Amino acid sequence: MALLSEAPPPRFAHDSEAELARVLDFYQVSWRYEPDVFPITWSPSGAVVESFAPDFYLPELDLYVELTTLRQSLVRRKNRKLRLLRQLYPGVRIKLLYARDFQALMVKYGRVDVLLDMNGVNGSNRTNGMNGNGAEHR
Amino acid sequence: MTHASLHAATPPGIHADVEEILLTQDQIQARVAQLGAQLTADYAGRDPVLISVLKGSIVFLADLVRGVQLPLSIDIMEVSSYGAATESSGQVRILKDLSHPIEGRDVVVVEDIIDTGLTLNYLLRYLREKGPASLRICCLLDKPARRLTEIEIDYVGFTIPDRFVVGYGLDYGERYRNLPYVGVLRPSVYGLDPPEA
Repeated sequence: MALLSEAPPPRFAHDSEAELARVLDFYQVSWRYEPDVFPITWSPSGAVVESFAPDFYLPELDLYVELTTLRQSLVRRKNRKLRLLRQLYPGVRIKLLYARDFQALMVKYGRVDVLLDMNGVNGSNRTNGMNGNGAEHR
Repeated sequence: MTHASLHAATPPGIHADVEEILLTQDQIQARVAQLGAQLTADYAGRDPVLISVLKGSIVFLADLVRGVQLPLSIDIMEVSSYGAATESSGQVRILKDLSHPIEGRDVVVVEDIIDTGLTLNYLLRYLREKGPASLRICCLLDKPARRLTEIEIDYVGFTIPDRFVVGYGLDYGERYRNLPYVGVLRPSVYGLDPPEA
């Protein structure tokens, strides 16, 4: 395992994900970025129609973390996917951090500047659609 | 302009930056006394060391130990916080280590609040390496909605909702620690509107 600063960082889809990675690094909690994809709906022929790739996996805690900085009014679709994931994979532990959770985390650490830099935490500044490389960081 | 001057309509007895008192002084005192009695019973015949994690827990510790009717020791630790880190690639550090060895001792970590559990997760790993006979956690406030780590808390004063609280040792920007109650800080104080419902 490597520290984020020592390993090539993945291309995060959102600034909030990079910030959470820095928080995890700070507290020496190892993580992988989008290492797993869970199919959640299938066509009648058995082809995967929809899947869910949580943003982080924390191996030491055996916990997936999905971070959504979308406005609460827009997270219904993600909540549905999360509900399906929990039904289909009851052994998978996942924590969904909403915009308000991330905001509270930054306030706790006195990092309101991070929120302001993200243009009001509206989820509109996803920079690319790159998937994570699954490499573990610590 | 001070924060206080921004909120002239605050009810008397409440700090102007606090929108609601979550736990009154009387509620806190009563519960802390119960926790002290519980520790007294659980550690009867032993000589525990209570470790306070600066700075938030010092007020709680000061009240708690006076309710523990046992011979005990106190030690103090301080751990760096993410928000205070000056380097973006920094890592958590022990700023103030234990003054005495804890090998073979019954240790109780005294925390003001546990939310993500990230600091405590680090601290417990550190303390376990010191070989204590036992290691338990006593916190005044538990905010489970925010938890990222799975930590078993042995003694909980209050389980609180997911709101930003100050007072009774808890701060925002090093302020409000001296409030005798636990209150919800107005979001305007930290420069944000209330979160969208």
